[in-house]
Amino acid sequence: MSVGGLGLKIEGLTVVYGGVTALDDVHINVPPGGFVSVLGANGAGKTTLVRSITSLLYLHKGRVRRGSIELGGESVVGKKSPEIVAAGVAQVPEGRKLFPNLTVRENLLCGAASRSDLGGIDESLEQNLELFPQLRPLLAQTAGLLSGGEQQMVAVGRALMSQPSLLICDELSLGLAPKIVHRLFELLTEINEARGTSILVIEQNASLALEHAASAYVLELGRVLMEGTAAELRGNPMVQELYLGGGGEAHTSYAAIERPRGGRPAGGGR
Amino acid sequence: MLLAFGNFTADPSVNLQFLIGGLALGAIYAVVALGFVLVYKSTDVLNLAHGEFLMLGAYFALTFLVSENLNFFLGVFVLLLVMLVFGLLVHYGIMRRMVGQGFFAIVLITLGIATIIRALLLIFYGPTERARLDLLPQGSFEIGGATVRHVDIIIFAVVAACVLLFFAFFKYTRLGLHMRAVADDIEAAAAMGIDPDKVYAMTWAAAMVMAGLGGLLFGHVTGAIDRSIEAIGLRAFPAAVVGGLTSLGGSIVGGLVVGIIEQFANGHLGTKWREPVAFSVMFIVLLVRPNGLWGRKDLERV
Repeated sequence: MSVGGLGLKIEGLTVVYGGVTALDDVHINVPPGGFVSVLGANGAGKTTLVRSITSLLYLHKGRVRRGSIELGGESVVGKKSPEIVAAGVAQVPEGRKLFPNLTVRENLLCGAASRSDLGGIDESLEQNLELFPQLRPLLAQTAGLLSGGEQQMVAVGRALMSQPSLLICDELSLGLAPKIVHRLFELLTEINEARGTSILVIEQNASLALEHAASAYVLELGRVLMEGTAAELRGNPMVQELYLGGGGEAHTSYAAIERPRGGRPAGGGR
Repeated sequence: MLLAFGNFTADPSVNLQFLIGGLALGAIYAVVALGFVLVYKSTDVLNLAHGEFLMLGAYFALTFLVSENLNFFLGVFVLLLVMLVFGLLVHYGIMRRMVGQGFFAIVLITLGIATIIRALLLIFYGPTERARLDLLPQGSFEIGGATVRHVDIIIFAVVAACVLLFFAFFKYTRLGLHMRAVADDIEAAAAMGIDPDKVYAMTWAAAMVMAGLGGLLFGHVTGAIDRSIEAIGLRAFPAAVVGGLTSLGGSIVGGLVVGIIEQFANGHLGTKWREPVAFSVMFIVLLVRPNGLWGRKDLERV
């Protein structure tokens, strides 16, 4: 049970991998207790953004070249990931990234790695099982053998085990049945409202993200292309064209729309 | 004609003797292989210096238990503590800087560490070989016509106890869980707030402590202590590979299997057949099961 939410303020963030710029002068603001979404196609820099916030760039030979990342008013650039998790940031990584050879129970317990109140961990585990009753009979099961939906529940549960005040979900919807995805997003909204946890969802599925988030940013090739409230972006013709599509399906890339339609200008969203 | 190079015997008591000797030797291989596999599994480093780690343990045992003549248990404690510190030094001084570098660059670094340890031992202990350790009870007893040395029984029991302790640590402690998590997925572990740096340091320390124990035990059964005993690293290698490089349990079984086969080859065929036979076992296992008997390709996420 986190007490309130943690604000995240990113300004002028430029991240490079070797000589390649992945993020260029990016700004994102998640107010305390807010629900914010970052939209974008593959290669837009979404996952790099998550790695920057949680200080995992070093595992990919990336680094922050310029800019600031502040959590609750305190700069976290240069801090190590355990410190950032201990400060209240938890994440559901892209592709879930469970520990495949550990059991469901052990996976959940790993989520509590940053906690020092050992007595409270069992209580959090129980809360998680109330949130995801399907996991209870699977506790002793090896996580790598679960279905995609079950794995995603473990991944969300694992993140919640640290009692985060900012929860980051990277591509929560990827590869999952729509029904499960809707339930997970409803759960995020509940957590956001009931616990006051700040939520940042990184998504390709724009229609879903805009339905739940209060505000959103559109990332394109490492830059912020557009930003606004969810309602504004839903009404924006360019967002509809690029990310909401005709039938509400997200296109996987900007180029996939550009090319077949003969390079029609995408409109001035900047 | 075939038997011209060997001295085969079907005498059961002699074979029983080979088996018991093999179990004791195999237990030492197992503890060495376990340290080797632990490092490989959790840090992705193929540590070619593991035999030298063990040799370091054997020489430190000479210093603390023979030269300094410390009380046995105090001496063992100091020995293992010093090994632990060396493990931390290996991580914080060298291996930490290599995280994220190419696999072979790191393998070459371990080869460099091996060379340095050999050189330092030569500098500080000189080239003269030392008598083997005799701190554990030296007697023997008869069973079914076979002569069983006390030291073999003690080695087997000590290794069994340590292995059980080791597995309990991994299964039931928080640090053990975090070590397994890092072995599974370092990035996910870091994202959960587990510090991979600390886990790596603990891994090297644990491997070094196990090598220290291996050195202490091997020091009791080797002919003499000199700078050739690092070859045990080479012998524990088939043990680790037979078990499957990623399986801690497999390395134990692999160690015992290789130890027993070696003793039988030694007894029936002669000393020079020990290594060829041990490595032949490794080749055959690799031909039939490329991941070793218990190694598995990591489960891919769905």
